[in-house]
Amino acid sequence: MESTAPPSRPPLRSLITRTRRRAASVVLTPPWLIQRYFAASAAATILVLLLILAFLLRESVGFLPAYRSELETYRRSGLEFCDIAREPLKHQQVLASLLRRAKAATADLICKQELADAEIAFDAAIAPVSALLDQLGAIAQQTKALDTEAHTMEATRQQLLAAAASTQNEATQKSLLAEAADLKAAPVDFSERITLILQHREELAAALGSYTVALAHAATKLPEDTALISQVRAAIPRHVSEVKTAAAALKEWQWDRHIPWHRAIVAFFFGSHWITNSPWQDFYGFIPLLVGSAVIALIAVCLATPISVVAAIYTSQFAGAREKEIIKPVIEFIQAIPSVVFGFIGISFLGDAIKGISEWDCLQWVPGFPIQERLNMFNAGCLLAFMAVPTMFSLAEDALNNVPRAYIDASDALGATKLQTVFRVIVPAGIHGILSAILLGLGRVLGETMIVLLVAGNRIAIPDFSAGPGVVFQPAHTLTGIIAQELGEVSRGSTHWQALFMIGSVLFAIALFVNWCARAVARRFEPCRT
Amino acid sequence: MKHTLLALTFGLGLAVNVAAQSTLRIRGSDTLGAKLIPCLAEAFKGQGGKVSFDIAAEGSSTAFSNLAAGTAEIGMSSRKIKPDERTLCRSKGITVNEIEIAWDMITVVVNRNNPISNLKGRHLLQIFAGDIKDWSEVGGTPGPISVYTRNTSSGAYKDFMGLAMKGREYGRKSQKMAGNEQIIAEVSSNLHGIGYVGYAYCGASGVKVVSIDGAAPNPLAVKSYPLSRPTFLYTSGEPAGSIKAFIDFCRSPAGEAVIAKTGFVSHP
Repeated sequence: MESTAPPSRPPLRSLITRTRRRAASVVLTPPWLIQRYFAASAAATILVLLLILAFLLRESVGFLPAYRSELETYRRSGLEFCDIAREPLKHQQVLASLLRRAKAATADLICKQELADAEIAFDAAIAPVSALLDQLGAIAQQTKALDTEAHTMEATRQQLLAAAASTQNEATQKSLLAEAADLKAAPVDFSERITLILQHREELAAALGSYTVALAHAATKLPEDTALISQVRAAIPRHVSEVKTAAAALKEWQWDRHIPWHRAIVAFFFGSHWITNSPWQDFYGFIPLLVGSAVIALIAVCLATPISVVAAIYTSQFAGAREKEIIKPVIEFIQAIPSVVFGFIGISFLGDAIKGISEWDCLQWVPGFPIQERLNMFNAGCLLAFMAVPTMFSLAEDALNNVPRAYIDASDALGATKLQTVFRVIVPAGIHGILSAILLGLGRVLGETMIVLLVAGNRIAIPDFSAGPGVVFQPAHTLTGIIAQELGEVSRGSTHWQALFMIGSVLFAIALFVNWCARAVARRFEPCRT
Repeated sequence: MKHTLLALTFGLGLAVNVAAQSTLRIRGSDTLGAKLIPCLAEAFKGQGGKVSFDIAAEGSSTAFSNLAAGTAEIGMSSRKIKPDERTLCRSKGITVNEIEIAWDMITVVVNRNNPISNLKGRHLLQIFAGDIKDWSEVGGTPGPISVYTRNTSSGAYKDFMGLAMKGREYGRKSQKMAGNEQIIAEVSSNLHGIGYVGYAYCGASGVKVVSIDGAAPNPLAVKSYPLSRPTFLYTSGEPAGSIKAFIDFCRSPAGEAVIAKTGFVSHP
């Protein structure tokens, strides 16, 4: 370097020699080494974070195209066609269930008989449609199975060919190639197989038509109104119109219509079904899991905020030095309890306790009481709240302690009482810090896995919000819980695997956003420090 | 999870004791790996078998991934091997060999205080598919039904769909529990609960076994019970040496006694 540097540029040269000299004299001193070590540690942490991010993205990026092609097979095999008709017919089961319940509830024998007749009429109405749909569904499932088989065979063939290409041994190569040649499978001719289904299109439309007529006729024979029967009566017109809409949609349906890219995105981010390992069709809908996570986090934050903020105000403003010495370590000790222990408490004690309390007569005015499920969102929310308290308490307390002394002195000088100072001066001055503490608590709650997996009840459905505030006593599944529960089983690289990684990525984005909000809020609070 | 840990500790304990002997690595289903195979392994060692065992039970599909990777000598599975798993093994140069080891009966349980003691097969289907929502619809005391199923990674989850539900899906409101014990715990605490467990678990005190179409699970009449299923061991190629010795032991009268003791049925 020194020799190649042109003599006409002495400043650069002197700079190089100077740094080299300095480096030579500094390089081996312990402070320099320690400093480098610290810097390397920081760099390694950032690097690992970036690697995790890259890994998450790499695994999840293939999800949308894979899901789109699954949806395309779903359409081309005719499964979608069957589902269009099946979806409104599910409602018939709800009506039949109401009728059976009405029959069990009534004591009047004539009414019972009439309801039994109505039930038979309801079943008879749907029987031809179900039989036809079962037949069509079987064809569609077979088409899909053939397609899957062709894909598997092709993938295996490629594997064998790759193995043959890489091997040196000629005999093995030959046998591998022969095996690969055996595996040649013809791709499924969707257009041919779909005609097997579509030739029944008119028949299905006619069956749906006569179903609505038969159902309306059966409804006229329903006996005297009780609450349950009038519910059935009221639901029938909507059900009939739904079936008619479906029948119209069946006429429009085309097996070869292309599925646009955004369909897969919409189906994931706004899908309300998460169905995996299904013999019919897997759906990866994000909403039930998101709603579960969100409701549980909301319960936890609502419970933890008052406790931790009030405790922080007391500790920082009212408590004596000895009280502080007890309160702070004890609350912070909660953080040391492993979350699986909380989970066990939830299963073995808290669930039974909440259920027991909900059966007290004096509490029956509470919405949702008496509760049926021990494992529910409220149970999980309580435990998560307890777990989030130390985080929120410590940060809120710090924020209150950081309120400048001058504010307090000024308030005292104006003759304010202690309470007035706290509520009119200190808390408003520290409010950004408190908000940031709440947000960081929220982040902690959203990311927690073990408690929700054990205690939330694992029901993959959007909670029934028509129950009002009592909805918190229903079970739910969560974003973190589903990853923990299903990742162990799925085969690497499958669409299901990628879907779970996609959820991981979204969870990561949510956590990042919550933390960013907390920082943004806290930054507004910074100037007060000076 | 607990069973996996138990099995692991058991396997490790054995591995430490007899590190010098040859080791059989067994991977796969937790239905088999929780109790049956560890008990068989212990009995096998007790009668003088000179091998050590390393058992890990994390679901049936891990049996085949481990066999294909050559990281297990024996795979346990509560279902038959799927075609794609067979091809995966073949592409790694392994021909899997199937051995029917025992039969399990999926047992439907309800709360001890539930008056229902028999369900029609059709009603069972409708309950788990979510069509029947209230106990009064099947002649019980009125109350909304809570359905507990295993989670998707379990062999029983799929088998039950095939055996009892004619391939229909579980209802949206069903709750997916991590293991048999958890289902027992929830059903015994919930008067309106219903769930299914392996036959070995149905003796718990808080629950009651429900017969299906009049057929109660009975080790003497396995084939006439509609929800019974075979379980399998898989080896790569024909078993030989200590693998063969162990499998022969499982099928011997001594092995069959162990199988019966753990709630399975050896020869229906």
